[in-house]
Amino acid sequence: MSTIEFPSTPTWTGAEQDWAVETHGLTKSFGGNVAVNGVDLLVPRGCAFGYLGPNGAGKTTLIRVLLGLTHADAGTMSLLGYPVPHHWDLALARVGAIVDEPRFHDHLTGRQNLQVLAAAREPAARDRVGPSLERVGMLHRADDRVAKYSMGMRQRLGVAACLIGDPQLLILDEPMNGLDPAGMQDMRDMILGLVAEGRTVVLSSHLLDEVERTCDAVAIVDRGRVIRQGTISQLLAGSAFTVEVECSDPEGAAQRLASLPIGASCTVESSGLSIALPTGTGRDVVAEINRVLVDSGISVYRLQHVQASLESWFLEVTSRLGETS
Amino acid sequence: MTTISLVEPSAPDLPPPDGRAPDHRGSWLPTGGMIATRFMELRKRRGLMIALIAVNIGIPVVFLTVRLVSHAVDPTSYRPAGGYDIFTTLVAGIMYVFGFIVAATVGCTAGSVDLTEGMFRHLVITGRSRLALYLARIPAGLAIVLPIVAIGFTIVCTVCVLAAPTQLNYDGVTVPAGLSRAGLEQWAGDHAGEVDCNFNFNFQGQSPPNIPCGNTPGGGIVKAVPQGETQAVASPAQVRAEAITIADQDYADYHSHFLSPSLPLMIDTGLWICLEATIGFVVGLGLASLMGQRTVPVILLVILELILTPIFSRTVIAHLLNVQRGIVGLAMAHIEPGGLPHPLGDGAGPHDLLVPESRTVAVIVILGWLVVWTALGAWRMTRRDA
Repeated sequence: MSTIEFPSTPTWTGAEQDWAVETHGLTKSFGGNVAVNGVDLLVPRGCAFGYLGPNGAGKTTLIRVLLGLTHADAGTMSLLGYPVPHHWDLALARVGAIVDEPRFHDHLTGRQNLQVLAAAREPAARDRVGPSLERVGMLHRADDRVAKYSMGMRQRLGVAACLIGDPQLLILDEPMNGLDPAGMQDMRDMILGLVAEGRTVVLSSHLLDEVERTCDAVAIVDRGRVIRQGTISQLLAGSAFTVEVECSDPEGAAQRLASLPIGASCTVESSGLSIALPTGTGRDVVAEINRVLVDSGISVYRLQHVQASLESWFLEVTSRLGETS
Repeated sequence: MTTISLVEPSAPDLPPPDGRAPDHRGSWLPTGGMIATRFMELRKRRGLMIALIAVNIGIPVVFLTVRLVSHAVDPTSYRPAGGYDIFTTLVAGIMYVFGFIVAATVGCTAGSVDLTEGMFRHLVITGRSRLALYLARIPAGLAIVLPIVAIGFTIVCTVCVLAAPTQLNYDGVTVPAGLSRAGLEQWAGDHAGEVDCNFNFNFQGQSPPNIPCGNTPGGGIVKAVPQGETQAVASPAQVRAEAITIADQDYADYHSHFLSPSLPLMIDTGLWICLEATIGFVVGLGLASLMGQRTVPVILLVILELILTPIFSRTVIAHLLNVQRGIVGLAMAHIEPGGLPHPLGDGAGPHDLLVPESRTVAVIVILGWLVVWTALGAWRMTRRDA
């Protein structure tokens, strides 16, 4: 089980009901293939939460279980504090979701598709069809048949379908798929806007850069298990990082640093020296490197601490898991 | 498989109310809005609507129009467009069989498109009861199928009544319609030669009078003195008496022939083909929901209607008699309104069906098909992965 150590900000503290999504030991198998393996997941309310994993890691299956699209084999879960599956109706009344690619009735217009979905929700949902289409920038194409929509427009319509329920929790599975750069920027802004309104957004994506830019916290899933979860800064703080040094004698500096007991791995590049430091190395080591080089008579022109990106960290933890297995 | 352990729901465990009014979306009852939007979704399927209208309205309209025009152009060669015979032919021969198939196609579409077009998961995520999602399709689909069947049937009834022939053609003889037994006998006596030579008659072992008719091309019986016998040609009085006897014997058959369908027959028949269309829709809906697709269920129902039902209606298989009785097409034939020919194409009336079945059993079989297929479709709908 993963240990959850979210920072004690006011938003993320409190009783268990403060979790938008909470699962314990959630398991789902297809034949002999365990797609979701005892997942313990906590998603704080009011944040953008990234759900990351390589292909086939079980991301979509977990979302499908959470939304009642398929049944769990074991475990407990709750959405917005409502235990499910006993209270699907209460929980899902406050949830909007896109699972896989958004598909609709092609022969109906975008507006008519939303009307079909709104009719299954509360009466007020009908009044939100227009505003939802406007919010995702689809109002001008709302009366065209979906068959004429591009993938990106269907994606936007899927988000509009989420919004007609005025959800407190949105679960978006690869919402950036099919969007052009401007569309991705719009989607990013919209997600941030939804979070600013106090909603919780769970974003499943393989676009790590997007998750890093959009989300406050992430969970990394691999082979059906959540292997890390926490805020991005918290997770990256414990990862390896690099120090880039521009100095008068890069080769001499590399030889000098190799003798230090800090586990540094030095690479001489055309621009200078790149020093990879192991996970858990403190920032004081950067100052120590500077002092050693100066004491050795090497002139240091620039020294920069480069934090690993979410992508490199993601590759690091998932490949590490691969090695151990 | 591990049994899922659920967090026991209890009032204190639930979060505080968030101001939303309860909307009973866990209820199995569909809302009016759900039915209306489902109706819209089906109605917007152009190809399906064209097929539905073409079979239930288009074919009868074209058929009747051709007859109306032909009769108007050449009344002597072409009989009137309407009438009782045309009514029974159109209703039992076309609207009944093909109406079922098209209604089944609509049902199969309603039962499968949410799955195949990816809308089912959107609908499940709303939190609405899956049973309510399923049940909403029944009134929505029937609200499309039944009015179109009714319109087509109304057109048929209208033409068959308004453009009915003024005189009845019975055994090749033009006879006034609606005569009483005495009236027919009176008319037969006045047209003794035509009656004696054309009306069907069972001599029941008696020797017929010698009435020279010749081999009339009209197909009437030809009476002649058996070889080796000598019999005087019948007198006019004998000819008249024979005609009255024949009329008396044929009256029951004559009485079942009408110039135009009666109002009670039209009402009964309308309800009967609407029931057939309802069965087609409900069975198609259930079967397609069960299988999660449209094509195979449609093919299966076409096979049931066009191949299996006629075969089982014309063959008695002793060991499968109860299975034969359980076929909905046979049950429907047993509750067919009197006066219609057998809907399965052999021209016999409902009481001439080979497989005996009481009306009570037939009604039970029909209800069973409606209930069982609805239950199977709903069960699969609530259990399947979305």
